[in-house]
Amino acid sequence: MKFLFPALLMSASLTQAADLTINDAMARAVPPTAKISAAFMTLINNANTDLAVVSAESSVAEAVELHNNTMTDGKMKMRQVNQIDLPAKQTTELKPGGLHVMLIGLNKALVEGETIDLTLNFSDGSSEALEIPIQPIEPMMQKKHEHKH
Amino acid sequence: MRNLFLYTFLGLAVSVGAYVSFELFGPKAPLPKYAQAGIGGDFSLTSVEGEINLSDYKGEIVLVYFGFMSCPDVCPTSMGVMATAIRQLSEEQQQKVRGLFISVDPQRDTPEELHAYTQYFSNRIFGATSSKEQIDAIVKQYGGYYAFVEMEDSALGYTVDHSARLYLIDPDGHLADILAHDINPVELHEKLAAYL
Ligand SMILES: [Cu+2]
Repeated sequence: MKFLFPALLMSASLTQAADLTINDAMARAVPPTAKISAAFMTLINNANTDLAVVSAESSVAEAVELHNNTMTDGKMKMRQVNQIDLPAKQTTELKPGGLHVMLIGLNKALVEGETIDLTLNFSDGSSEALEIPIQPIEPMMQKKHEHKH
Repeated sequence: MRNLFLYTFLGLAVSVGAYVSFELFGPKAPLPKYAQAGIGGDFSLTSVEGEINLSDYKGEIVLVYFGFMSCPDVCPTSMGVMATAIRQLSEEQQQKVRGLFISVDPQRDTPEELHAYTQYFSNRIFGATSSKEQIDAIVKQYGGYYAFVEMEDSALGYTVDHSARLYLIDPDGHLADILAHDINPVELHEKLAAYL
């Protein structure tokens, strides 16, 4: 029963989630007038049993929800989901264009370099309190370009 | 008198002939295929500067994007791609490129907020919106899609399904290209540079 969080901060876990690794957790830096943002991360369920994220909380937002984005026929759709499944022995990615933790009604600007608190509640009754960095999602100019100028 | 008529006639014939041959064979580039198909064209919106028209920006490349500020994901990503591509241009070239983020959610997004939102990404990206009727007309004119969708259990109340494309308007005001929202900034930069 080990919780591994190899990020910047040692998160004090409220309850130990079963064999779960969370990598690259971050909240997206957003313009000052934005009322919403999203948090992304990679969750690895190392256990032999399925788990799910059933809810989340943060002090920076009025409401924190679990959402999924899909692109069908060139149409981007965002929908709320009841839970984010973390199947046994599998890696689940929360990333732009897909699953995300939606932060609604921000009560502070999400400025790059700062952090926010984010608590994930799991289907087994356990929780993880994280402190995650605020980062911009900058599209990368690819190497191809570097040779051009 | 007779000669005068003749000369006038000849003069007219020559001018018309010259005009027609210039239109047909002259150095003018043909209309982009979208403009030929009647997709795109001028429109009016409300920004922090008041009423703006696409035709105000003749001589500039305009990158039009339909989105909304409560969009956590594709909209800011697209703005980031736009900003990154624009940033690769010289200072002088940048002044000839303009991003235009059109909010399809005027109920939540004000021109002031849209201005701050877009300028966060680049000082060459501007925001605007309009009435629902106007927006419906513009989206249709550009072959786009959006729809309000109720989110019953969400604090958001509703979301907006939308097509996420970048519309490249050439310096003559014609729709020249429709690009995927996840276009690589390198590719977008190349598309822009082709007009500069
Ligand atoms: Cu969302």
